[in-house]
Amino acid sequence: MSQIIKGLNIPVNRVEGDLEVRVDVVDHRIDNAWSAGTMFRGFESMMVGRGPLDGLVITPRICGICSLTHLSAAVTALDSITGITPPDNAIRLRNIALIAETIQSDMRQAILMYMADFTNAQAYRHHPLFKEAVDRYQMLKGTSVLEVIRKTKRLIEVIAIIGGQWPHTSFMVPGGVTSIPDTAKLMQCRLIIEQFKEWFESRVLGCTMERWQAVSSFKDLENWLGESPCHRNSEVGFFLRFAWKAGLDTFGRGTDNYISFGNFPFPRHTGVVPLNQINDKDEPGKRQNLVLTAPGFATGITPRPLDPTKITEDVSAAWFEQEKTTLHPFDGITRPYASGSSGEKYSWVKAPRYNSVPAETGPLAEMIMDKVPLFHDMIQQKGASALIRQLARMVRPASLLPAMGTWLNELMTHRDAPFYTSVKSIPDGEGAGMVQAPRGALGHWVKIKNRKISHYQIITPTAWNGSPRDKNKHPGPWEKALKGVALKNLENPVEAGHVIRSFDPCMVCAVHTLKKDGTPHKKFHTGWTF
Amino acid sequence: MQDRIICLGNRLKQEDRAGLQVYDRLFKRKLPQQIELIEGGISGLNLLCFLENVATVVFVDAISGFTHPDGVVVLTRHQIETASQCLHYGHDAGVAYLLAMMPRVCTPPLPRDIFLVGLEGQCSEKTIEHAADIAQDMVQTGKYGALPKHLHYQTGKIY
Repeated sequence: MSQIIKGLNIPVNRVEGDLEVRVDVVDHRIDNAWSAGTMFRGFESMMVGRGPLDGLVITPRICGICSLTHLSAAVTALDSITGITPPDNAIRLRNIALIAETIQSDMRQAILMYMADFTNAQAYRHHPLFKEAVDRYQMLKGTSVLEVIRKTKRLIEVIAIIGGQWPHTSFMVPGGVTSIPDTAKLMQCRLIIEQFKEWFESRVLGCTMERWQAVSSFKDLENWLGESPCHRNSEVGFFLRFAWKAGLDTFGRGTDNYISFGNFPFPRHTGVVPLNQINDKDEPGKRQNLVLTAPGFATGITPRPLDPTKITEDVSAAWFEQEKTTLHPFDGITRPYASGSSGEKYSWVKAPRYNSVPAETGPLAEMIMDKVPLFHDMIQQKGASALIRQLARMVRPASLLPAMGTWLNELMTHRDAPFYTSVKSIPDGEGAGMVQAPRGALGHWVKIKNRKISHYQIITPTAWNGSPRDKNKHPGPWEKALKGVALKNLENPVEAGHVIRSFDPCMVCAVHTLKKDGTPHKKFHTGWTF
Repeated sequence: MQDRIICLGNRLKQEDRAGLQVYDRLFKRKLPQQIELIEGGISGLNLLCFLENVATVVFVDAISGFTHPDGVVVLTRHQIETASQCLHYGHDAGVAYLLAMMPRVCTPPLPRDIFLVGLEGQCSEKTIEHAADIAQDMVQTGKYGALPKHLHYQTGKIY
């Protein structure tokens, strides 16, 4: 007789913000999953009626990890409304800072969040690599944990140098940037990036970035792993060995639809080549509107051009009301509506859809749009999985670091060129800032009327990945990815955690209040009460 | 060497914004030159760089479960570290995680004194102002050795 458990709550700790995942389990296998954002965000409503530039100050404060990306989306929307293309140097500076933020996020997520689960003794004490995993990833003590914090702490100094303020810089403004780093500061950035690159190659990859880029198939990956102890003992090598043994390549497939908004627009003059042109020599090489990581939508591994008009938000299962169930973000509103229709509506996250279907976003989607052969081959052979998704995030810096270095060198060569084109005021109009944040596709849709913000809609990467069901009852990407996952121990469902964390969830409204363990509201006798 | 007041919290969440309301009060004041005021927000680990080359650090943040609503509590470094077992990466770990990582990853000299001025829940204007006074006093008087006896803190000691 089947054992059926309805409504099991999956504890997903270490997630930024408020996430609740509920599953039905039949014979230790997830039969159905529901992902709920448990808090109304409502940032969009705060924006209406404010001055056009207020988005540059408010939206970066939505998230402590990718605040710069929100700034980028906000300023891109305003650039679009003004119709001004920022000067080349401004584009280079913006890109360098954004890449620094993306890479620090990738490395911290991998070592501090994802691999931390490999130290789960209840699940993995019999895994042959368990002891080594503890040595590397144990909280506060693991060798890799300490190293990644030291290295990323140094890397984000690049943002402080470029932004002229840290944290909460607002150095990106319509028309360009507000700071012009002198040559000494640019040299300092170059040193930091070079040192980070050396560490990334020696410890994360275990080989040069060029050697890694030559790994172009699943077979190549197996050969690469066996080629050298440096490869096997690198973070990527260890991750692969542990994850394969734990079966992370066998579950967590998802919807097979992928979306990326692309990122890092090119200056008019640059030596950087778009990643999809590096990976596919037949990709057209026109020099207009080029970006480093390509935008697109893909079913399986076939990318197609992105049509922003096909993006909608569906509120069928979200506690919001609007005139139609699905609306484009230029038309959508954020009006909370706790209907009480429990079961049908279950999340404070709307369901973004592309051409009416759910789509996964993040580094794996980028690898597909950029036609990275290794990931195309892995998906063709076995389909997406928690392992592939996480691997894409770990190795993404290998694609971004070279461009970062080139743009920095170009800045030093062209430092006397402009960094800002004057923008006297923001005219009435509408514009979208669609960028690729560390966790995936991020969009700000903005309308300005009578010199005030009349409309602001934000779709975050986690809204794509952690979306609830839509009017067609299609589950969101990680709801779908959880279906079929076998749970060895219902008290310790680490497999579900691997799947959800491979999407790198971030509910963008993080709470970090110091909470005293134990009974709340008791006087803290060893402190001073005023 | 400088002292720092680092105000934490999320302006966009009512129950987590008290630290930044204190920041706004302090920002309007003329603070002595040796005090650097930082809007730390929800920057988490990205604040580690502010724990280097500094004499005294006073964090100001919303707290939960320490005292009555609208109350203010001052905690030592040790009290912060032992108040929460939530010492993993993530925003819910906050100051306790930051302080646990500090000696392991930061470059000396590290702060001689670290305190937290904690505000319980959503606070009144009066309490916000009071907390701003306390934060400023703690840095200033600590600097010049004029701290009242009952406020002579020793890092790591439980009072």
